[in-house]
Order: sequence, then structure tokens, then C-alpha cells
Amino acid sequence: MTTLALLLLGAAAGSALARFLRIPVIPVLIILGMVTPLLGARQDADTLRSIFELGLIFLVFVAGTELAPKRVEGRRKGAVAVGLAQFFMIGAAGLGLSLLMGFDAMTSLYIGLALSASSTLVVVRHLKDRQQMFEPFGRLVTGVLFLQDLLIIVGIVVLLRLPGGLGEVVVGLGGLATLALLALVSQRWLMPRLVLHGNLGEEEKLLVVLAQLFLFMGIGHALGVPLVAGAFLAGVGLSSFPLNGVARGLLWPLSEFFLAVFFFAMGAIIQLPTGAGLVQALILAAFVLVVTPPLVTFLAEKQGFSARASIESGLLLSQTSEFSLIIALSGMMLGIITPEVFSIIGLVTVVTMVLTPFLATDAVTRALLQIHPSRRGKTERLVLDNHVLLLGYGSTGNRLLKALRDNGKEVVVVDEDAVVVARLRAEGVPCLRGDGSDPNSLRQIRARRAQAIVCSLRRFRDAENVLAYVEESRPKTLVRVFDDAAADRVKELGGVPIRSDEAAVDSFMEWFQATLGGTEPPPASASAEPSLR
Amino acid sequence: MEQGFIGSLGLIIIAGAAFALLGRFAKVPTIVLYIFAGLFLGPVTGLVDVTDALHLIAEIGIALLLFLVGLELSFSRIRDVGKVAVAAGLGQVVFTAVGGLAVCWLLGFGWMESVFLAIALTFSSTVVVVKLLDQKGDLNSLYGRIAVGIFLVQDIVVIFALTLLAGLGGGEEVTVASVFHGIGFAFGGMCLLLVGVLVASRYLLPKPFAWAARSPQMLFIWSLCWCFLVVLGAEVLNLSLEIGAFLAGISLAQLPYSGDLQRRIHPLMNFFIAIFFVTLGIQMDLGGGDWGRAIMLSLFVLIGNPLIFMFIITRMKYSQRTAFQTSVTVAQISEFSFIFAAMGVTTGLIGSDILSLVALVGLVTISVSAYMILYSDPLYRFMNRWGILRIFGGVEEEATPELPLGEAPVIIVGMNAMGRQLARRLCAVGERVIAIDTDPHKLKELPCETMLGDVESSAVLEAAELPRARLLISALQIEDTNNFLAHRCKSMGVPACIHAFDLGLIPDLLDLDVQYLLTPKVDALRQQLRELENAGLIQGK
Repeated sequence: MTTLALLLLGAAAGSALARFLRIPVIPVLIILGMVTPLLGARQDADTLRSIFELGLIFLVFVAGTELAPKRVEGRRKGAVAVGLAQFFMIGAAGLGLSLLMGFDAMTSLYIGLALSASSTLVVVRHLKDRQQMFEPFGRLVTGVLFLQDLLIIVGIVVLLRLPGGLGEVVVGLGGLATLALLALVSQRWLMPRLVLHGNLGEEEKLLVVLAQLFLFMGIGHALGVPLVAGAFLAGVGLSSFPLNGVARGLLWPLSEFFLAVFFFAMGAIIQLPTGAGLVQALILAAFVLVVTPPLVTFLAEKQGFSARASIESGLLLSQTSEFSLIIALSGMMLGIITPEVFSIIGLVTVVTMVLTPFLATDAVTRALLQIHPSRRGKTERLVLDNHVLLLGYGSTGNRLLKALRDNGKEVVVVDEDAVVVARLRAEGVPCLRGDGSDPNSLRQIRARRAQAIVCSLRRFRDAENVLAYVEESRPKTLVRVFDDAAADRVKELGGVPIRSDEAAVDSFMEWFQATLGGTEPPPASASAEPSLR
Repeated sequence: MEQGFIGSLGLIIIAGAAFALLGRFAKVPTIVLYIFAGLFLGPVTGLVDVTDALHLIAEIGIALLLFLVGLELSFSRIRDVGKVAVAAGLGQVVFTAVGGLAVCWLLGFGWMESVFLAIALTFSSTVVVVKLLDQKGDLNSLYGRIAVGIFLVQDIVVIFALTLLAGLGGGEEVTVASVFHGIGFAFGGMCLLLVGVLVASRYLLPKPFAWAARSPQMLFIWSLCWCFLVVLGAEVLNLSLEIGAFLAGISLAQLPYSGDLQRRIHPLMNFFIAIFFVTLGIQMDLGGGDWGRAIMLSLFVLIGNPLIFMFIITRMKYSQRTAFQTSVTVAQISEFSFIFAAMGVTTGLIGSDILSLVALVGLVTISVSAYMILYSDPLYRFMNRWGILRIFGGVEEEATPELPLGEAPVIIVGMNAMGRQLARRLCAVGERVIAIDTDPHKLKELPCETMLGDVESSAVLEAAELPRARLLISALQIEDTNNFLAHRCKSMGVPACIHAFDLGLIPDLLDLDVQYLLTPKVDALRQQLRELENAGLIQGK
């Protein structure tokens, strides 16, 4: 009980500290675990280990339930291409680097795999906090992460069975495939019946979901699949809609509880590497931080993403995964890698995760855009006057474009999406592919000479930049905003705020008054207490 | 058998789930099923041994359960029932101990055995009762609170019994002074902890928790941390885990987030407490039990305990119904009875056959009383019809007016700018609005009812009266949650209105039969066109 209280105390302090410093909570918890002399916890190694194992399993299980390919709808191809390439290229380069640093082949394989994936937990939370899940690059990044989680599970199976020879690996992969099949059955058929239509109480649902977890691990164990892979696939077995929503609601408290204590306990196990180890860890961390952004940027651009979205994806993916810790841990438990290597991987993860929120910012993105190769060269200047600018085409741009062109206005569209730009160009609409808030682009399309600007950029900061650029010049600038503060700011800067939320609420109220408003609610107690005595 | 911690835990969970699913058709209370799952894993097949780690998990379950009870009750509400709890608690302890002693002696046990059995029969199980009351949703009812109060009183008595046992086992002279010393120490500790916790809840906790509440994760972890810190404090003061966790809960009950916390901790508790009950079953050694005498003792507990309670509580001017419902809660013995008997065996004061007997009595009384508690209403009606309860001379029936249900609400999820506007506008046209968000700051200054919570938890939607709602609106910009809400509404036949913040989301939402889509982008387009028209750039149609 003391151990648990101490773990929770550490977790509580860690979450507070992370919030205070605005960095992801995972590395903070690990660092706290490393530096806190957890005297009580070290004594009670058994309890610590049990809680730790449970935490590990829940972490992986919940990651599995989140695996929803639907979420990357429309970007699947891009995500697969970028995800695969990043995984294998970084993995291979990491392997090479480790060999160069003098690790043996097996250890290098572990390090390579550990470096190859990015962190779903850190990135998804970052995207959610900044409401960027549904921007195109947000979808790309989530897609990449899901794919990598899947790959890394396969990787773990392969690595853990590699010492037993190729036959062992094949057996392990066969077991994995069997479990995956079971997960599919569970997801499509078994679990929906039990959990959605089984008319169970909350308590029974929770037990059923957890029984699935342990059953999969048990079956996996019998098939020679490591526990983490079983737990992950058990989660996948719950990932179909709307099952995943139910599972999230049921598992939230459990996963939060175990996650918090897990990472703190993890820190208590990691020992700070000494001398050479420290240097090696820093080299590997620097490798991830320096190589990932350009690589992903390059890959994403190949898939038709704009420079800015590609750079943002690259910055966001430049850390190692929570799964890296799991790989290292599994390797250490089996005695394949040394505690020293485990600590090195742990340190790399901590360093790269801590730096993510500082790297994935608008400021860094802008700075990198300046040195991006595509900046130079193609600046065909458009000679225009009294035109109308559409910054951001989106889903409603076609209506605006039509209305304006019908009235004989010359319209120029700026959009980041290569597909949109190509289509419009084919229709003979002058277009610029790029960032509508970038002063260079604005100069290029002569924003100050325009008659009107319709700004539908996603981020309010971008709109502010546009307003700041056109400043005192004439164009009437319509800016779509979502709240009072932004509306006031737009007015202050001389623009016309378009209150999309207000407009939506107006339409809603009309509908509401017409359908539900004014009608009496159905009598609630008509059938209560039958009076037939 | 050796399979490590995860293996044992897995077997427990799987067996628990399997029994729970099987037993549902027979409407067997879940705790009874868990105990049977435990019997299956332990005494029957010997698959699982209870290790330290499992033991810890079971204890966490108890702590969380009592923490939840504390969260649900405020200090003042428990003080209201203080008098009756002390009177009934002490009265029952004395009666059952003396009566039990007599019954055991009549059944032919020796003196020492009778003493142990009598004490073992005296305690009722806080965990069993609270779990069942929670399942029934009656923790906050009058009888629920009296029952909780009684168990707290009994907990103090447990400490007293332990002191006595330590004296007996140690072979020292048990003097009146040492007994009083034990009781005094327990009371002193209790007062110290109580004062400390109340001071903390008044002055220390509100500010940090207000800060933490902006993130549900942090609030959750902090509360758990607080819970286990107080539990540790109780341990230091020689008080029980239950008392510590309960006081920790009480001290957070005043916070405005306690409702949200309860709903979040509830599933966690369910997980841990299931393990508690299964391990309880595993540890039951029914081997050499004497069924005849076990049945006699069980009947004594099942009938005798409620009788004495009826008598005391009706004397204190509570209604016949409240008295009855409180009384049926004490008709079982406690998990502590097993521990107590086991200690007796280790000290050599009684034989292991007595331990088995206690286990048998426990199994019978816990199972039967689970039914009695869950079905106490029909049981009451039955008894009342036959006039059995009249002999206690309680006040007949007080009119308990059902709380009038409010108007069917419109639920709005997500208090972003749009959500807040919707709430204001709907309130202005006289709708009853319930606004939900995970961030207490966003719920401030709204003219409607507000609720803190995560809508993916079904407890939150239930508390917001979703099944009878006129409409559910989600202003959230989270695709998964929105789709899930739409699905929930569809399955309950409640109209849904969902924020389609990206037009690409619309097909899925239409598949889910959403009644209305909030499309700020489309509405913004209309406004953009109007503005362009005003500027003379385009002509209106």
C-alpha cells in the first residue's frame, strides 16, 4: 500500500509539473521516477513489478482500441507511404548508427526498432490540445502513428523470437496472425453482440472487456506470442465503431491510473547511463531529432502535402515511442540487451519526447519554411488589380468562386492542397499553392491591391497575419472566426468578422423552433405505477 | 500452480466474467457470482493461489469502494444519522456477541471456540453491503446512510476486538486498563485523522484541486493520491483501511467536482472489487465444515441480526420501512470474520474446523443477504402485508414524495463558443438545458444546469437524463466522440444534433440518423455571400 501511495504521489506531482511546464507528462513522470529516491518502492520490488506489468499491458491494450483506420479516411495512402518509409528508413539508419557505435548486431536491432516509431500518446495528445486532429496533416500523422504501432508489434514478435532461429520467428508470426484473426472475429461479431447488444450492466461490460484482454494474452502465450502483442490485439478486437467508444468510456479510469504509475515506475527502473552510455544516448536522440523532420517532410511532400503541412508532420513525428520503452524492457527482461542499453533507449525517449512540444510550434515551422528549398525559384508574379482573393478554398470555396465569377470578378485562390490547386488551374482559375498567411505569397498575389479578401484559414493566427499584411490598404477582408475574442480582434485589425458559430446557432434555432420548440414534452409518467389493483 | 501474477489475475478476471455472464440469467447478485468464481478457482480446482500482489489489489478495491462512499456522502449527512448509528451499532454488537455465545454454547462448542465464533458472527461486511447499496443506487438514501454509519461504528469495535485478541494471543494478562488503552488509542487516532482531514478539506485542498480540475486526468490522479495518502495515515494511527479511505472521500465530497470524480472512479473500483470478491472465494476453505451447525449459525445471523436492528431503530422514531431496510443490511458476517478466525487458528486457540465453519457461515449469509438487500423492497411489502412487522410498533409509513422529475432536458455537450451560445439561446426560449464539459472553467457563468464529466462514460449521460432528453446537441470538435454520441442517441431514440465541423464528416453522421447537423462552415458561407453582396461585389438572387 505504501508503494502504491508513493507511486501515486509521484504521478500526481509529475502531472502537475508537466502541466506547469507545458510539456508532455510521460517524460516528466519518467524523469521524476529516475530522480526520486523511491526507497519504499525499491524495497517492495514485487509489488512494483506487478503494478508495472499491469501498466504495460493496459498501455498497449488501450493503444490497440484506438486503432481506427477510419480516422485517416482519405489520407490512407499517404499515411501508409510515409509511415512505412519513415519506419524502415529511420530503423535501418538507427541500426547502422548503433553498429557504428560498437553495439553488437542483436542490440543494434533492438535500438533500430526502438528508434523507428514515433509516439502515439504524445502526438495525439498534442494534436488534440491544439485542435489539429482534423487538419490534413493531423490525419496524416495519426495514420502514420497507427501504422507504426502495428509494425512495431510485429517487430517485437520477430525480435523476441529471433534468438531461436528463423523457424521460431515464423511460428511467432503465425501465432500473431491467428490472434489477429481472432481480433477480427471479436471486433466484428463477438464483442458487438456481448457489449453492445448483450444488455449487460456497466460492471459486467468492464469485466467482459478485461476478460478479452486476458484471454488474448493467454491464447497468445500458448501460441508463443509475447504478452504485449496479445494485449495489443485484444485492444484491436475492440476498435470497431461504436464498440471503441464504449471501451474508451469503460477503460479510461483504468488506463489513466495504470499509465500514471507505469511511467513513474519505469523511471525508477531506468538508471541514468554513465559516461559513454550518456554520449551514445545523446547521439541517438540527436539523430532522431535531426533526421526525422527532413525525411518526413520530403516523404509527405511526395504524397502531395504542402510544404508547411509536411514540415509540421516532420517536427511532430520526431520522437521515439512509448513502445520503444516496451521493446527495450522486453529485451532486458529476456536478457538479450543489457540494462545499460535499456537505459540508453529510455533516455533517448525521454529527451525526444520532452522536446516535441518545443519543436512542433508555428515559430519553428516558419523558420524552417524560410530555408525550405521550394521557396526559391518559382515566383511567377501575377499582374492583377481589383481582384478578389480566396485564402483557403475548403469545402465551401466553390460556391463563393461561382458567385464571384458570375458577377464578372477576377478571383485568385490560395490553398495548400495540391489536388485542389491542380483542379482549379485546369478550370482556368488563377491559383497559388501555398500558405495563405505567408507575406511572400500575399505579395505575389498582390493582396494589398485586391478589392476583397475572403479568409477561411484554419488557424486564427494566420488570419491575423493576413490582416497585419494588408493593414491600411483598401481590401475588405472577411475573416471567419469562432468566438468573441477573435471577432473583436478582427474588428480591431480592420477586418470584417464572419461569426460562423453565431450563424450556425441562428440556423439551429430556426430549425429547433420549427420542429421541437413549443411542443409539449411527452408525458413522462404515463406508464409509471399501473393502477390496476 | 505457478503462472505468475498476470496469469493469476487473468484467471480471476476471466472466471469472474464467465460466472457473471452465466449467472445473469438466474439474476444472481454479482458479488455472489464472484465468490463462486473464487471457489471454483481456489478450493475446487486449485488453479490460483492468493499472492501478496493479489492481496494488495483486493485491498485497493476496498479502499476505492469506501472512498466512493465518502465522496457520495458529505460530513453533515453522516452526522445526521450519528445517534442511531451508534445506538444500533453498539446494540447489535452486544446482542449478537452475547446471543451468539449462547447459541454456540448450546450447539456444544467449547468456551474458547464459542467466544471466537460469537465475535466472528458479530461483524457485518461493510464491503458487501456498500457494494450492494451502490449497485442499487441507495447509498444516499436515509437507510443507506444509517447502514454506513453503523459500519463505521463496527469498525471501531473491530479495532477493540483486535486489541483483545492480541492480548489473548500474547498470553499477557488482559486488564481493563489495557482494553481501555486500546479503545482510547483508536478513538484518539480517529479524532486526529478526522480533524486533520476536515481541516485539509476546508483550507488545504480546494485551491490546488481547482487548479487540477482543468485537466480530468490530473484531477483523477490527485484524488487517488489523496485517498491513498489518507489511507496510509490511517494505517500509521492503527486505524482501518476502510476508515481512512472513507474519510478521504468525505474530505473531497464538498468539492464541486465530486460528482465527476465518482463517475470516473467507479469503474476502477468495480475492477478492483471484483478481484477482492473472487480472492475472498479463493480463500474460503470449506473442507471440514459442519453443515448442520453452519446452517444453525447462519440462521441466527440472518434472522437474529435484523430483528435486533428492527427493535432498536424503530425505538428511535424511524419509520418501519427505513428500519426494515437498514436491518436487512446486517444479516451477514464479514470478510474480517475469516481473518479473525484465521488468527485464532494461528495462535492455536481454536482448531481449523472452526475456520471452515466460519467460511461456510460466511458463504451462506453473504449469499442470502445479498438477495435480501437487493430485493428489500418486495421483501418489505411481503412482510408488511402479513403484518409481521407490526410487532415492532414502528411508525407506519411516512409519505416519501417521489422527487418530481424536471422537464425533459436539452443536453448540450462541449462548452466552446458555439456550445455556450446554444445554451444561452435555448435557455432564453425557456428550455431546460443541461450543459456538459470536462473543464469546470468552461461551465462557469452559464444560465443553465451544468455538469462536469466525460460523455463517453455512460454514467454521465445517464445522470444527464439522456434517455428522456428532448434533444442532445454536441458542439464538440471530436469526431469519435460525436459519432459515439450519435450512436447512443440513435439506440435510445433520442434526437441528436451534431457539430459537423468538417463537411467530410456528414455521411457518417447521416448514417447514424442524426436529426440536425450544425454546419458553421456552410452558415458562414451564407454570411460571406451577404457581406460580399453588401459590398456590391456580387448581386443577390
